[in-house]
Amino acid sequence: MNGGGTSRHIGRILIRAIVTLLMVAILNFILFRVIPGDPAKLLLGGGRVSATAEQIEAQRQNWGLDRPLLPDQLVDYLSATVRGDLGYSFKFRGRHVADLILERLPATIVLVAVAQLIAIVVGVMLGMYAGWRRGGALDNGGTVASLLLFSTPSFWVGMILVVVFSTKFGWLPGYGAYSPGGTISSIDSILDHLRHLALPVTALALGLIGQYVLVARAAMSDVVTEDYMVTARAKGLTNRQMLMRHAFRNAMLPVVTLIALNLGYAVAGAITVEAVFAWPGIGGLTVEALNARDYPVLQGVFLLLGASIVVSNMTADLAYGLLDPRVR
Amino acid sequence: MSESTTRYSPLGPARAVKGFLQQLLSHGGAKVGLVCLVFFLGVAVMPNVLVGPLQTAVNATGDFLAPPSSQHLLGTDEVGRDVLNLVVHGARISLTIALLATLISLFVGTSIGMIAGYYGGSVDVWLMRLADFFFVMPSFVLALVITPVVLEVMGRGGDILGFRPSLFVILVVIGMTSWAFVARIVRSQTLSLKERTFIDRARVVGSSNFSIMVRHILPNLVPQIAANGALVVASAIYVETSLSFLGLGDPLQPSWGTLLSLAQRAGAASAGAWWYLGAPGVCVLSVSLSFVLIGNALDDTFNPRRRVIP
Repeated sequence: MNGGGTSRHIGRILIRAIVTLLMVAILNFILFRVIPGDPAKLLLGGGRVSATAEQIEAQRQNWGLDRPLLPDQLVDYLSATVRGDLGYSFKFRGRHVADLILERLPATIVLVAVAQLIAIVVGVMLGMYAGWRRGGALDNGGTVASLLLFSTPSFWVGMILVVVFSTKFGWLPGYGAYSPGGTISSIDSILDHLRHLALPVTALALGLIGQYVLVARAAMSDVVTEDYMVTARAKGLTNRQMLMRHAFRNAMLPVVTLIALNLGYAVAGAITVEAVFAWPGIGGLTVEALNARDYPVLQGVFLLLGASIVVSNMTADLAYGLLDPRVR
Repeated sequence: MSESTTRYSPLGPARAVKGFLQQLLSHGGAKVGLVCLVFFLGVAVMPNVLVGPLQTAVNATGDFLAPPSSQHLLGTDEVGRDVLNLVVHGARISLTIALLATLISLFVGTSIGMIAGYYGGSVDVWLMRLADFFFVMPSFVLALVITPVVLEVMGRGGDILGFRPSLFVILVVIGMTSWAFVARIVRSQTLSLKERTFIDRARVVGSSNFSIMVRHILPNLVPQIAANGALVVASAIYVETSLSFLGLGDPLQPSWGTLLSLAQRAGAASAGAWWYLGAPGVCVLSVSLSFVLIGNALDDTFNPRRRVIP
């Protein structure tokens, strides 16, 4: 192993992540400047309120809009972004975009974390088993089912779940994160929240399960044909020993990478599902911003999605390097 | 290393095609996918013949949210339009957007990948850095923020080449943001192809770089482009459906995603109107599954050793 090579490898991954994030921020900057209408006017009421010329000029100076776009305004924009200043929402007047996002983030994280956890446990186990017993009835049926789940939009699964479990049987709520009115005791409130979580989590998890099954299955069926598995059998290991000592750990490599990657896309993937269930998270905020043409919020969301994707990609690359020394 | 890139066939092209089709159709999944696709393409080609012109709130004939009956096989929506009519017309819109977006994506991806691989050096480095960005950022996330801004600039009225502006913008944005995967594959194939003797021979007889790329390298890339093209269509349908569901589509040209968005806004799920949201969803699911199955079968036919899914 070569220490210099490793640190250069890590350096490359870091630089790539920073460049990608920078491009996300620059894209945000360009998009905001492309929107028709004077930004100073937009700031004074989204273009709907009439303002005097002096007011507009004062705004221009106040926000530095009288300075050249490049490089002054871009540099200002980037340094503000780094400081966490994402501007003000149009719709929620006077509120910081960063505050709005932080306020909505916990609901999304709960939804996504529970769905991912369930999907990882169920999907990886089913996929590994299918790959281990490749060609069996469970394998064939499971692969078809996984492809089906993988090709189905999660939000549509959510709508169907609402029709069946909420409207038809009335078992579970299909709207919001808490019952209206609120509950007094904290235990009731947690139970109420869990009941509201059930359907959106299921909708999100089903699609993820399909994906994890396919990858875990492919990884495992690659591993079982490797030479070291033949060696292991020749040594007289039992099936169970082979699975535990050799197959499982090696097959986990691509699966771990996929999990790291998926965590970054998870927030984006939940947007449409949140829209179905009126879940009060980032997805709900995105839909409100889209409907109200609230561009600062939309850009804030874009930055958040970009950052989570870049960080998870970086983690996946680093994890791959750690787990598989050949990559370095 | 690249047994799949040149396919010399002494039997002539017709038999080569026949052999290829036989091999492709030996995959059960590809058979199902092709039948399903032919059905939907047929529907998309002649919606007016099958169900008459697109119904609107003005000329709707049914009750509000009526369940399926002999008159309305798939029930009606919240303003009394026939859901079968909407879904059949939606097929044309959804498939057109997905296929055109894929064409753009394949064109951009192939050009960039081929130029990067062929010229190498700093051209390669910069183009692939650009591709890295689009590879990491999913089309859906980029389109989510780019589409509304472009629409704001262009306005939502009128139409462009027969599309409502929002559909046109969506298809261009999907095409321009989903090419990175294709570019990577094309680049790696081009890297190996350009070292072959037939490329040297073309260069010796004085072919220009452009003509070498188009006449000698491109034909050998067709297998990879085709297999990935099918997967690009599947993802384009997914992205278009999601964006339209979030309200970026156009109610005057409703795609399947727009229908789902309308169903959601009309409260179809809590009204128990399973037919209204079920029909467009099943269509999206069948078409994207078909493309995934065909893409995998193509990939397996061209690269028998690299199996993704059986």
